[in-house]
Amino acid sequence: MVYTKKSPALFIIGLVMLLWGWLNASGNIDGVQQYFQQSAYSDHMKVKEKFDAEFRVASEMAAAESKPAPEMKMPHSKFDEAKAFQSKMCYIFGGVATLLGLLIMVWTPKEGNLDYYLSIFPGMAYILLIAFLVRWGLDPMFANWGKAAQPTLGWNFASIFNLNYVVLGIVIGIVIVNVFKIPDWAANGVRTARFFLKTGVILLGALYSATELAQLGAISVLMIGVFVLGSIGVVLYMGRRMNTGNSMTAVLASGVGVCGVSAAVAAAPVVNAKAAEIAYTIGTILVWGVGCMFLFPTVGHMLGMGPVQFGAWAGTGILNSAQVAGAALAFDPHGIETLKVAEIFNITRVLFLPIVVLWLATWYVKHEVGAEKVDLGKVLVAKFPVFVLGFILMFALSTMGAFTPSGHYQGKYFSSEQIKEDKLLKGKETKAIEGELARLKEPAGAKQLQDHFTEKAINIGQRHATPEDAYKGLADLIANKKMSTREQEMLLKAVGKMKGLDAVTANAIDKAGKAAYHSSKTIGAFRDWLAWLFSFGLIGLGMQITMAALKQAGGTPLIIGGVVGTAKALGSLIVVLLFVKEFI
Amino acid sequence: MPGTTILVHCLVVPEFWAGMQGDDWLNNASTRDAFGDYVENMLENDAKRELAAVASRCKERGLVYESLMRFGNPAETVLVIAGEIGADLVVIGSPRKKGEEGLNSRMELEKLVRGLKCPLLIAPHP
Repeated sequence: MVYTKKSPALFIIGLVMLLWGWLNASGNIDGVQQYFQQSAYSDHMKVKEKFDAEFRVASEMAAAESKPAPEMKMPHSKFDEAKAFQSKMCYIFGGVATLLGLLIMVWTPKEGNLDYYLSIFPGMAYILLIAFLVRWGLDPMFANWGKAAQPTLGWNFASIFNLNYVVLGIVIGIVIVNVFKIPDWAANGVRTARFFLKTGVILLGALYSATELAQLGAISVLMIGVFVLGSIGVVLYMGRRMNTGNSMTAVLASGVGVCGVSAAVAAAPVVNAKAAEIAYTIGTILVWGVGCMFLFPTVGHMLGMGPVQFGAWAGTGILNSAQVAGAALAFDPHGIETLKVAEIFNITRVLFLPIVVLWLATWYVKHEVGAEKVDLGKVLVAKFPVFVLGFILMFALSTMGAFTPSGHYQGKYFSSEQIKEDKLLKGKETKAIEGELARLKEPAGAKQLQDHFTEKAINIGQRHATPEDAYKGLADLIANKKMSTREQEMLLKAVGKMKGLDAVTANAIDKAGKAAYHSSKTIGAFRDWLAWLFSFGLIGLGMQITMAALKQAGGTPLIIGGVVGTAKALGSLIVVLLFVKEFI
Repeated sequence: MPGTTILVHCLVVPEFWAGMQGDDWLNNASTRDAFGDYVENMLENDAKRELAAVASRCKERGLVYESLMRFGNPAETVLVIAGEIGADLVVIGSPRKKGEEGLNSRMELEKLVRGLKCPLLIAPHP
């Protein structure tokens, strides 16, 4: 079979990208970009004003000394950088698309590898073009509209409903497949979306520290264990009570319990699910998943949840794993802290999947008369998620320092040597710290410190922190006017958050901490690329959610799925709010 | 053969099946293929069973019987086939009662009636 469809589409997409790149580079569309990049543009105006003033002074000075006007270059503003980034992306990807598009137009495809791999590019370029459109156009446009409508509505609809590039991308994907249909030439490429999502998860592995992974892993195993196994138990019980068929109950249990469509797909053949049962289950899960993706981030913001809490909640409460990633990015589109937490939950879920499939297979064989026994070992091997190995490998490599110095996971380095003169603590600040140090050395102060450390469970290495540690840390800070070690910084950060501490001291600790940390450019860029990868994957997945599939939701599965899905969302919300703290 | 009635039995597998796996991204390719094969086999077997039942009844009555299996939108597919074979009469079953369980893929009567060039007979469910 020949996969490549002869069509000028890829070539045209390439040209469109190149055109946008050129328009940005040449400054022809600065007016349009002013509207889209309002905050970057106001930065641009500030930079320009400052530069103009400096230039005028310099020119006047030069004129007074009767020298020629000086040559000065205006420094780059955020606006310039944003435009340069857009044109760079467009030149790279548009260039590749144009060349491959030409190849598709002149080459007569023959069966083989070249044909197969060439056939995925038009679809990939199609998704990428939509990703550009959403990220550079719709996302800022909705933000502007939200702000513009705020006085009339009384609330900002764009930020309340999280109409950012992630949500908009998925919505556009859904609209395209249902209203316009995916063009033939793009069909093969659109299917690569899941490959990019898996790649994203694998690369994400490089951003965790061992402590973070251990803590998140423990929470996720606990929460997923309780809620997955619990909801499967409930579905099996309800199914028996409501006389739903055995295969129906089993496939619904896997879908509602573990990771949605993926679980239903994995379990259906094992439990001999019938066509209508599969359709019901997947329809129900899709409706719930898409609904939750819009609802969860809004609720999360309303409750003021942090990344760990929200990631844990979305990772447990949303039925379908694809929408977990979507909700996490929708909640926090410009950092990937939430995504990091949510993906750990996704990975835990997928690790539970083989076990659950085995459980359901055994359950089915036990209850269904005449069912064939399943080869358990074979199921386990076939369902093992290989991409998790990639994730673990990336994590191992980064922990061993293959990519950046250790401790990079916060996206910041700690270097006390490179602190600039003006970032060192001033005399007024060290004086305030001296005063507080004396106060804390009194019995009352020591007790307050001790209580604070106990309450927040502050540790140094393997032992609990004591007031003496704090005294030493503060004394060192006064002597050096800066933080010297990461441990000192972590301990004093905790001290700085203690109630009743003098404001100047708290500020000074904060300032000294910030001076010692600085972001790594590599990590920053890596995060950006990851966000692109995920948004690309999610748009592609959105393009595969058809209305006809959503419509299959119905019957008893909708009732059971609705009850269990709601219970799971609410139950995990309560557990998260009560027990999960923002401490990682 | 003049005077002979040829019955063409057409079974449409609704197109929504193509979108069923769309949102799955966690599974290995082998699991997805297993699911695809499983669903395909099941749909095919179901269809064959239906067709075989009708075929035997036609044989009893001495009708010439042909069967077709297609994948797509039900109304569109019926229109296409009716045109291809030059049907003199199209017979469809009546829609399921509201609230009765089953796949949510109804024949778009409006579309069928507007496009059809021959009479349409709707046989009620027994």
